[in-house]
Amino acid sequence: MNRYIHAMVILTLIVLTIVLATAFALGGITLYLPPRNVRSLAEIFLNTTFNLEYRISPMSPEAVTAIVWDYRGLDTLFETSVMFLAIVGALTLFRGLSEKLPQEETEYRGGLSVIVKTITRIATVMIIAVGASLALHGHLTPGGGFQGGATIAVAPMLIIITFSTYFMFRSIPVKKAVLLRSIGLSVIALTTFLVLIIALTQNGTAYIFQNQPKIHADYGIPSYLGDTIVLGGTLLLFNAAETFAVAFGFIALLILITVPEDYAKTIVLEGEE
Amino acid sequence: MMEVVQFLFNIVVVSMIMNIAISLYGVFARPSLIKKIIALTIFGDTINLMVILIGFRYVEPNPLPPILTTIPPTSIDISTFVQKAVDPLPQALVLTAIVIGLAVTLFLIFLTIQIYRIYRTTNVKKIAKLRG
Amino acid sequence: MSIVILHYMLMAIASLLSVVSVYLAIIERDLVKAVVYSALQSTFYALLFYLIMAPDIFLTYVPVSVGLYTALILVLIKKTERFEGEEK
Repeated sequence: MNRYIHAMVILTLIVLTIVLATAFALGGITLYLPPRNVRSLAEIFLNTTFNLEYRISPMSPEAVTAIVWDYRGLDTLFETSVMFLAIVGALTLFRGLSEKLPQEETEYRGGLSVIVKTITRIATVMIIAVGASLALHGHLTPGGGFQGGATIAVAPMLIIITFSTYFMFRSIPVKKAVLLRSIGLSVIALTTFLVLIIALTQNGTAYIFQNQPKIHADYGIPSYLGDTIVLGGTLLLFNAAETFAVAFGFIALLILITVPEDYAKTIVLEGEE
Repeated sequence: MMEVVQFLFNIVVVSMIMNIAISLYGVFARPSLIKKIIALTIFGDTINLMVILIGFRYVEPNPLPPILTTIPPTSIDISTFVQKAVDPLPQALVLTAIVIGLAVTLFLIFLTIQIYRIYRTTNVKKIAKLRG
Repeated sequence: MSIVILHYMLMAIASLLSVVSVYLAIIERDLVKAVVYSALQSTFYALLFYLIMAPDIFLTYVPVSVGLYTALILVLIKKTERFEGEEK
C-alpha cells in the first residue's frame, strides 16, 4: 500500500515537470533559452587568460584557475580562512580528547581481514598519486588546489575503517596534523607577498597577489621554463600549498570524529562540568 | 528544432525548481536533525547548479569548456575560443561556495553529536519541551 | 543536428532522475537509506555538471559529496539514532 502511494507520487512529479516545461516552451512565456553570446565581462576573461599582447594576462591556459588565484585571489584567501575557522570550532567542541587518546588503547587487535588490508595499502598509494597529479597540473588541465586536497582526504577515511583509529592516531597525531596545516597556510601567505619582497629588495614597487609583470611594476615570477614548459607563475605554488593544507585539515577532523563513543562521552562530558 | 531544444532545457530548469521546493520542505517539516542536515546539503548543491546554468551558451554542435588547448595560441585560436567557450566566472564563484558549504556542514555534524551526548535525543520537538 | 538534441536530452533525463531521488531521500524514514539516496542524487548532479561543460566543479563535487558527506553522516548515524520520528 505504501509503495503504491510512493510510485504514484513519483509518476505525478515527473509528469508535472514535463507538462510545465511544455507550457513554458510553447506558450509564449519563454522561461529560458541559453544565449548565443556570452557576457562582455566573460569575453575579457577569455581573451586575456593566455595572451602576450595584454599586460594583465596571468599566462595560464586554464581560465577558472586563473580567476580563482589571480584575478580574484582575495576571495580564495578568505574562503581558506573560513575553512580554518570551522576546523578550530570543531576542535574546541571536542576538547580534551586528543591528549587522553593514547591511554585508551590497552589491547586492541582490531581491523578487518588481511585481504582487505592489503588492497587498502595498494589503493591508498594510487589515491595519493591521483590527488598529487590533480594538484600539480592545476594550471594546464582541469584540477587545482581544492580538487587534489579533497581527493587525498578520502585515503585516511579508508585507513581508519580497515585498520583502526588508534593506528591513524599513532602515525599522525591531531596536533601534528594541525601544525602541518598551518605550515601549508603560511606557504600560501608567503607566496602572496613573494613578488613584493623581491621588488622591495631592488627598490621597485609591486602589488600583493602579483603573478606577471604589470604596468608600473616590472617584477614577476617567470611563466615559461625553457621554451615549452608552462609554469603558471604563482599558480603552481598556490595549488601545491592548498592541497597540502586541505588534506591535513581533513585528517585532524576524521581522527576526532571516529573515536569510539563510550570513551569519548565520559571525557567530553566531564569537561562540561 | 529550436523548440525541441527549448523544451529540453526548460525541463532542466523546472526540475531544479522542484528540487528546491522538495528540499525546503525537508528542512522545515521533518523532526530529525540528521534529516535536516541531509536536506540542507541538497538545497545548497541545487543552488550551485542553477548558478552554473546561467553561464551556459548555445553553440552548434557543442560549446567548449573554458580551457585553451593549443600552447602557444595564435590569434585565430583565441577568437574561435571566445566565440565558443562557456562563461568561466560563475564556475570560479561556485568553487568558493562549495568549500564554504562543506565547512558549515562539518561544523553542524560536530554540533549534532554534542547535542545527542547532552540531551540524549535528536528529535527537535522533544528538545523544545526540555527547556524549563 | 542530432548531436545537439542528444546533448540536451541527456541533460533532461539526468535532471528528471535527480528529482526522483531527492523525493525518495526526503520521504524515507530509515536514515541509512536516505543517505544512500542522497549519494545517488549526487551522482546525477555530477553527470549534469559534466554536460554543462564545467570540469573543475565536477572534480570538486565528486569526492566532496559522494565520498566525504556520505561517510561522515554514516558515522553520525552510528553515534546517534537511526530511525527518525516515533519508531513503530
